[in-house]
Amino acid sequence: MILSPEVISILILDIVFVFFALIAFYLSIRISLYWDINSTSKMQYTLEKQSSLAATIIKYIFIIKLPLFLFFIFTLDKISNVLTGAMCAAGVVDATSYGTYLFILKIINIYLFGYWLMLHYLDIKYENLPYVKLKFRFFTIAFFVFISEIILEILMFSSIDISKMVSCCGTLYSSSATSVISSIFLIPTSVLLSLFYGIFLMMICFYYLKNRYMFSIMNFLFIIVSIISLISFFGTYIYELPTHHCPFCFLQKDYYYVGYLIYTLLFIGTFYGISVGIIKQKNQYIQKKLNISLIFNLLYVILVSAYPLIYYIKNGVWL
Amino acid sequence: MIKLKNITKIYQMNKNDKVIALNNINLHFKEGELIVLKGSSGSGKSTILSLIAALSKPTSGEVIVDEKRISKLPDNFAALYRRENIGFVFQKYNLIPTLSVKDNIIQPLIPANPPEDELKVKLDNVMKRFSIEHKKDLIVRNLSGGEQQRVAIARAHINNPKIIIADEPTANLDEKLSLDFIKILKQLKESNKTIIVATHDPLFFDLDFVDKVIEIYNGNIVE
Repeated sequence: MILSPEVISILILDIVFVFFALIAFYLSIRISLYWDINSTSKMQYTLEKQSSLAATIIKYIFIIKLPLFLFFIFTLDKISNVLTGAMCAAGVVDATSYGTYLFILKIINIYLFGYWLMLHYLDIKYENLPYVKLKFRFFTIAFFVFISEIILEILMFSSIDISKMVSCCGTLYSSSATSVISSIFLIPTSVLLSLFYGIFLMMICFYYLKNRYMFSIMNFLFIIVSIISLISFFGTYIYELPTHHCPFCFLQKDYYYVGYLIYTLLFIGTFYGISVGIIKQKNQYIQKKLNISLIFNLLYVILVSAYPLIYYIKNGVWL
Repeated sequence: MIKLKNITKIYQMNKNDKVIALNNINLHFKEGELIVLKGSSGSGKSTILSLIAALSKPTSGEVIVDEKRISKLPDNFAALYRRENIGFVFQKYNLIPTLSVKDNIIQPLIPANPPEDELKVKLDNVMKRFSIEHKKDLIVRNLSGGEQQRVAIARAHINNPKIIIADEPTANLDEKLSLDFIKILKQLKESNKTIIVATHDPLFFDLDFVDKVIEIYNGNIVE
């Protein structure tokens, strides 16, 4: 087991989260089963107090968990210094059989937690709390995903063997790799870039057409294509190295931590973009989310596109 | 205007110890009425006031004000309801002792952040009405009990609330000051405010402008 100060901090927080999440989970089940906003019974008043408590617990767990994802990546990066062979977080993720699943689960959870928070803020906007049952039912499901993440996190940190040699990102993210990642490189760059910019342009079209469902679908596709194109194409221009495809290295100091900005823009943009297809709200509210999504996605596109363009202007050739 | 339907309020001190503050009571107050709730300490008067002001929730039953189910409001909406509809006058005035008279009076307006000139007009009107404009810059801890009570009434009135709630308002005043306070209440009633006073001061019980005197005993209404 590896116990750096960062890992200890994460594990302590995990224990605190589990303790409070269990309380919230118990209360969520009660609320999901017995909530009746029109009732004036003793039980309903008790549930109203409990819903306030449970929502506060969940809100703070999720609000802390969102930036903690960035801290988790930072931790992996830092651990990579003590693992033989690892050059960045990618080596640590690959060091155990739990790493990849944990990483995927963490990304899914970012969206789940974000949508729960969105639902919660919508709920408390109205006097009759219309989404109480929905948000607590949602939490009862999200709880299991949340606990799975924590279990995987503990398993991952406890199974890291610092005496074992791990693969570096150059090996993991290469066309010769045997994993599913190598299939990314089979897609021709022209197809990938057409998809990337095509989806983004369609997103803009659906924004002006005010078709929120199609805008949402485009955002869902955009995050997938964005990550693939980042690994396959844009990342190489950040490193200025045609063979380097790691999605983690640009989170490091050598690249001015630009990865944090790249991922934050992408996650915020697509989070709000996907949300407009899920939530039922007034046009003004939807429009606000559409605007946020488009601005963040646009910034993302500008940022990642700037790297190849600057490279071409400086060197007169593409990689 | 104000309805309390089948209200029970239990304070659960611990697992085995509970206090039944109100026991399935029903009350109905009309707009512009002055109601006196009388009863000994611990009878449940202040609990009724806190329920009407949405400061607490009943254990069961409901409070309805202007067709709105106050007891079902989430905390953020309850705060908004209080700010817009309720003026409070407390036994111990609950003023901020280190602030001046005018700064105390404007406290209920601060969350709404009104324009400076609007705030000044409201402040001047209310200080004039309760005859404290000459004390406006004094720190309230240096005022007499009667003056502090006037400041408290001015503060309760500055938002022009529909309902004024007074909890033992004369408990710290001598008879003369209590009668002054009663005069102010009469003025407020004439301006069609609904006023609910919880008190055991006998001065209130035989006033000709009081619409109802309701006696509370051990959480029950004495018929």
